[in-house]
Amino acid sequence: MPNVFAFAEARGGQLRKVALEAVTAARTLADAAGGEVHALLVGAPGIGEKAEQLGAYGADVVIVIEHAGFGNYNAEAAAAAAAERIKSGGYRAALFSASAQGRDLAPRVAAKLGVPMAADVTSFEPSGDLIVARHPGYTGKVIFTVTLAASPAVISLRPGAVAAAEHRKAARVETAQPVGDPSAARVIVTEMVQGSSAKLDLGEAPVIVAGGRGLRAAENFKLVEDLASAFGNAAVGATRAVTDDGWRPHSDQIGQTGRLVSPDLYVAVGISGAIQHLAGMRTSKTIVAINKDKEAPIFKIADYGIVGDVFEIVPALTEAVREAKKHH
Amino acid sequence: MKIAVCIKRVPDMEARFKIGADGASVDEAGLKFDMSDFDGYAVEVALQLNEKSGGGETTVISLGPDVVQETLRKAMSMGADRAVHLKADKIPFDSFAIARALAAELKVGAYDLILFGRMAVDSANQSTGPMVAELLGLPVVTAASKLDIANGTGTARRELEGAAEIVTFPLPAVVTIDEGIARPRLPSLKGIMGAKKKPLESKPAQLGEPRIAVKSMELPPERTGGRIVGEGAAAVPELVRLLQTEAKVL
Amino acid sequence: MSILPSRHQLPLPLDRIILRDAPDVEAVPMDVVFVGGGPAGFAGAIELARLVKRDNEAGGTLGDIQIAVLEKAEGLGEHNLSGAIVNPRALRELFPELKDADFPFRGPVTGERVYFMTGGRALRIPTPPTMKNHGYFIASLCEMVRWLGVQAESLGINVFTGFPVDALLVDGDRVAGVRTTPSGLSRDNTPGSSYAPPTDLTARVTVLAEGTRGLLSQAYYEWQRIASDNPQIYALGVKEIWETKKPLDAVIHTLGWPLPPDAFGGSFVYPLDTNLLALGLVVGLDYQQTALDVHVLLQRLKQHPLLREYLDGGEMVEWGAKTIPEGGYYAIPKRRSGDGIIIVGDSAGYVEVASLKGIHYAMQSGMFAARAIFEALKKNDTSAASLTAYDRLVDESYIVSDLRARRNMRLVFQDKTIYTAGPQAALMTLTNGAFPGGKIESHADAEVAREETAEEPFVPDGKLTFSKLDANYKSGNATRDDIPSHLIVGQDIPPAVATLYQHMCPAGVYERQGDRLVISPANCIDCKATDVLGPRWTPREGAAGPHYRRM
Repeated sequence: MPNVFAFAEARGGQLRKVALEAVTAARTLADAAGGEVHALLVGAPGIGEKAEQLGAYGADVVIVIEHAGFGNYNAEAAAAAAAERIKSGGYRAALFSASAQGRDLAPRVAAKLGVPMAADVTSFEPSGDLIVARHPGYTGKVIFTVTLAASPAVISLRPGAVAAAEHRKAARVETAQPVGDPSAARVIVTEMVQGSSAKLDLGEAPVIVAGGRGLRAAENFKLVEDLASAFGNAAVGATRAVTDDGWRPHSDQIGQTGRLVSPDLYVAVGISGAIQHLAGMRTSKTIVAINKDKEAPIFKIADYGIVGDVFEIVPALTEAVREAKKHH
Repeated sequence: MKIAVCIKRVPDMEARFKIGADGASVDEAGLKFDMSDFDGYAVEVALQLNEKSGGGETTVISLGPDVVQETLRKAMSMGADRAVHLKADKIPFDSFAIARALAAELKVGAYDLILFGRMAVDSANQSTGPMVAELLGLPVVTAASKLDIANGTGTARRELEGAAEIVTFPLPAVVTIDEGIARPRLPSLKGIMGAKKKPLESKPAQLGEPRIAVKSMELPPERTGGRIVGEGAAAVPELVRLLQTEAKVL
Repeated sequence: MSILPSRHQLPLPLDRIILRDAPDVEAVPMDVVFVGGGPAGFAGAIELARLVKRDNEAGGTLGDIQIAVLEKAEGLGEHNLSGAIVNPRALRELFPELKDADFPFRGPVTGERVYFMTGGRALRIPTPPTMKNHGYFIASLCEMVRWLGVQAESLGINVFTGFPVDALLVDGDRVAGVRTTPSGLSRDNTPGSSYAPPTDLTARVTVLAEGTRGLLSQAYYEWQRIASDNPQIYALGVKEIWETKKPLDAVIHTLGWPLPPDAFGGSFVYPLDTNLLALGLVVGLDYQQTALDVHVLLQRLKQHPLLREYLDGGEMVEWGAKTIPEGGYYAIPKRRSGDGIIIVGDSAGYVEVASLKGIHYAMQSGMFAARAIFEALKKNDTSAASLTAYDRLVDESYIVSDLRARRNMRLVFQDKTIYTAGPQAALMTLTNGAFPGGKIESHADAEVAREETAEEPFVPDGKLTFSKLDANYKSGNATRDDIPSHLIVGQDIPPAVATLYQHMCPAGVYERQGDRLVISPANCIDCKATDVLGPRWTPREGAAGPHYRRM
């Protein structure tokens, strides 16, 4: 059974980036065993148009299920469809994203199949009949390496852990029917709330822009907010000194006594880097620091640093990010 | 309502962890243990729902060695009415094995609502709740940041990347609770005394053979000083280039 | 310019601490309440529970006696800090059925060295007789307390962690119970979303085992006008735990550098495990310079070759601080019992500074309290006359005879330097306290004038040496930031006094910004130095403060 299943996540009629990451990872695994990648794409009528894009990232077959009941995320129907296909297809492995949707979906599918799963995996490889996978736990302070003996091996991939890479295939499209009536699902999405970046929760935001005492006054936090809105998917955080001074509410505080965060990108503006603060954000994937003191401890853990005046650098960065987002 | 809350005993995450001698566990010497953060929120939600409805019963369930009874007592000192301890030598990593043991217990309880924390902060698999729901054939909502129950119907909010969805579902159901939904109360002195007299039932957990095992554990490499890209606004273009091409976050 | 700290210090708000309110109707009825889950409180509670149990088994009529231990820390031992080298005498008496190996010690003292330090050198000197520790054990007080807590719970004692007490409930002169602090208050002292009101506990006897500089104990002595021959004086100890590459094979004590000659104190370095050691610096709070900073002095001490040998390449894993009552014999209050109340341990001043010992005295005093309470319960008389049996037991015991033998040894240092006081102290040892005869008068620490001195800048490297903020993190202090201030600060603190506070406080609660005093109450780790020299300390909500693991 050298074939690999990938679930192609979509929202609002569009493929999500994590769908391409899942297909890319599936391609790598399938190639190692000389198998095919079969991607499942469920959505409202019209979603089938996205099948070609999945092919571009390495799907040999795209199974398309179109139904009005898939307009919003329909966990029950999606899980039933995925489990049905995985069972009948005899796959070696089934890949999901550990996104908000995938974290919900993958364990349901695994339970339907009666198998355990490896969740929120940052990397994995086959080892004989087993899959060996790595998974961060203990708030990112410990990395588990686990061996998954079940067949199929259900895996959810941490978003961003695998870079989506093109691998052109002319995917064969198979149309399939849902299992049962998706409209009869018991859990129904009644409303989608499109979040503005200002309202993004610190725990969920892929990007966090945080400010410290180096901003000198509460009103200068506008610089941080502007940079966050330029990213579009960023939340605003603050150090304890800043929340203590009342510049920002305590709920914005990142650190040992505040929120523990690990976004993909953490931009520290005017933050010197007391251990108290570092404890709350050091597991971020990429850290950028902007500070006038080049001896500041934050530079010791930052991947990229700029030394200098935040009042000059941050507006320039905001402009550059806005520009970069425009061309993306 | 009859509400069950499944809780896990985990180490305090503020600790500096060390890998145990077997290379596949965290050295527990000197660590402090408590209820997983998210589970604390779930217990609080259950207590508030039953307070609001003016009745009902909250049962807390935990799987593991005898020490998890401390965690169950804590939940009862917060206000839970009774506890079930599913006895096991250790808490396995395999969420599905745990889910099966929990489902076997939950099946006979005729609960209106079964709550979990969104995840256990140590193993961080976020899988047990939805797996239990599938095994019991119940509707499930994961990572609820808001939860209301009225007339046998639940309404919940789930945070997604850059958006949120509002869902409705019929009871009985399984819901996993996100942080921040309701700050867990501190046990009162009377609560602590009362908890000693509340019923705690201990029985063996029906754990099957685990099919996912921890092979090894390691500490992530310490962040080593990155690079200073440059000084002043002149360094911004280079930073943006690195964020796009190297870190691939922009 | 010279500063007298007492001039800027407010009195204790007795009206908030000694309450004539009747206990709340919902009050939790107890027979005996121990305020403070440290060695004194637990030894007392355990001894009492055992006496009651034995009596009931022998056909006594006491019946069910409800004993509570209230501890302000979130978990047991998390606010306890000591060196520590423990004399096992009290533990052996409390648990006659156990062997030394059963006690939660790290190991016996197998060797000891004392050094007189200069900036670059360490001169080994003979161990003074009072500092000989052969036969004693190295221990972490946190671990000892956690172990005692388990013993207590197994005896049916109600152990409540996370419950500080901030008031005594009194009826006339009788102490009738205690009131816990509320929790979940907002910064402006209004109830927040997680507000929990205070709880009253009634008790036939309340035992104050608050540890160093206990709030209720101080208030009780003041309210009842209980004096001592000399005022109590204190030292501040700052302590770190290090994981090291090189094992330490003996206990080390040092004198001299980096302390100025007019300050009293010294350091200790104790092996806890092959790759784990505890080190600390203790300095009398009667030091005379506003810029003297015990935390910074400890950081400097670590740069000495004697210590670098062990610390280089290692890692600081825990940090904390605590005051120590050092007044000794003449500072013991005339009575430590009253109507419905007994005061034990550090709150009663049972510390012998020349031998650096207090834990076994604390435990022993708790056990004496238990015996006096047991007799009082049996005759159903917990009046002052009945409980005064406790004072007699202590006064006739080794606690007081040990302290009496070294009665002037600390005091001689108050007005002298180590060079002139040292030889006198040696003579005192030889004469078992008889030299020089009489009592040396001493002043409360806040009555000792301070010279305004400029601070020598110190830049920590984050590897061997640490800032107060970074050190505070290693205490596990995660107090919520929007907690109301628990410190009672005088009006219009002059800049020079702000400097004194900034350096006096090891935890970075006080900061002088320009001429202004800026206060971060959430940083407080309950060492009580502030209460000795500056703003008065009161308990905060339960679980605030440090979370020591191996201190």
